[in-house]
Amino acid sequence: MSDDDWLVLPGTDRTPVSIGRVVTSPATIGTFVLLVVPFALGWLKSALFSPLALPSYVLYGIGTAIGDAIAPRFDFWLYWIPFLASCVGISVTIGFGYEWWRERADDDSSERL
Amino acid sequence: MRRRTILAAGSALAGTVAAGFVSQPSGDHRLLTAAREPGDAGETNTNTERLLPGTVHETRLHEIDAPRDGPTAMVFGGIHGDERNGIAVAREITEWHPDAGTLVVVPETDRVAVENDEREGVDGNLNRHFPADREPVSELARGIWDAVETRDPDVVLDLHRSLGIYDFHRQYVGQAVFHSPDAHGDALADALDDDSVPWYLPFHRFTARETDLSGPLLFQKAARELEASTYLFETTEFLLDQPTRNEMTRLAAARVLELHGLLETGGDA
Ligand SMILES: [Zn+2]
Repeated sequence: MSDDDWLVLPGTDRTPVSIGRVVTSPATIGTFVLLVVPFALGWLKSALFSPLALPSYVLYGIGTAIGDAIAPRFDFWLYWIPFLASCVGISVTIGFGYEWWRERADDDSSERL
Repeated sequence: MRRRTILAAGSALAGTVAAGFVSQPSGDHRLLTAAREPGDAGETNTNTERLLPGTVHETRLHEIDAPRDGPTAMVFGGIHGDERNGIAVAREITEWHPDAGTLVVVPETDRVAVENDEREGVDGNLNRHFPADREPVSELARGIWDAVETRDPDVVLDLHRSLGIYDFHRQYVGQAVFHSPDAHGDALADALDDDSVPWYLPFHRFTARETDLSGPLLFQKAARELEASTYLFETTEFLLDQPTRNEMTRLAAARVLELHGLLETGGDA
């Protein structure tokens, strides 16, 4: 297994978490689904907007406000691309945090045994 | 484990999605019912005539007389031909029953633009054809202005839609009520927020802005020269579909009629 298959927290040499584990983590997948699905439903039909879509509504809305101020020629649907990229970034960050926390919890419990 | 996580997330989503925010009952149902059904005072009387007959611009004007005296309101759709919410709702309004006064509706103001589904008609942007201290600058604008002057309305409402949101997307003017100084712009925006904008779509709350009356827009000329209370209503295409834009436009029109005494909703009953 090569070195870049592992994510190591800065300033530590322990509790590495594999990229594969982060990407397939329930925390990563759950976050991604929660960010994308409620917003996509509202996008398809306004009546399907719900409070669950609020985080993505804010993220997408602010993205378009900034984008429109600096590059007004783009259609708003193009903002789906940076929006989805942001959702991936947020999901992976949360998934990494969750897997790292689980790893540490496992280490701590095995040390106590 | 993972499958269970996804299933749990999926059912949580399905369970929390609302049944549709603009269809949720509130004060708006009473308002729209009052608009669509004749009141206690009796039936309305409708006349239809042609503006600019025999020209390429020929379009219909509907004049609905309520059983009781009251102010005259004019509603315009299709000044921009691709803003379909205003056209669709103005067509509906030709079937409304005001309780007092006279309701005048022109659903396809720039008929060539409406038929081509384009913003501008043969002479360009109609809503720049009403400059201060001059005649309207096109044949169509002069024909429309003649109809306005003849009716001498107390209230004018012009229906539009934008691509973005006013004060949020720099180049757009959606979700806004532009109004003459004496009009009820704030009350209209507040009522629309209550009736049609859920708390979880905060950027879509309506903004009311008093307009500068020196501009070349129809609603500015009507306020300037006829001292009418005038409104230019804008919804947005941003994250809102056609039925939702139509509902917001419908509620805006009914609320303007109520604020100016053409519609009675029976108080708080
Ligand atoms: Zn317009």
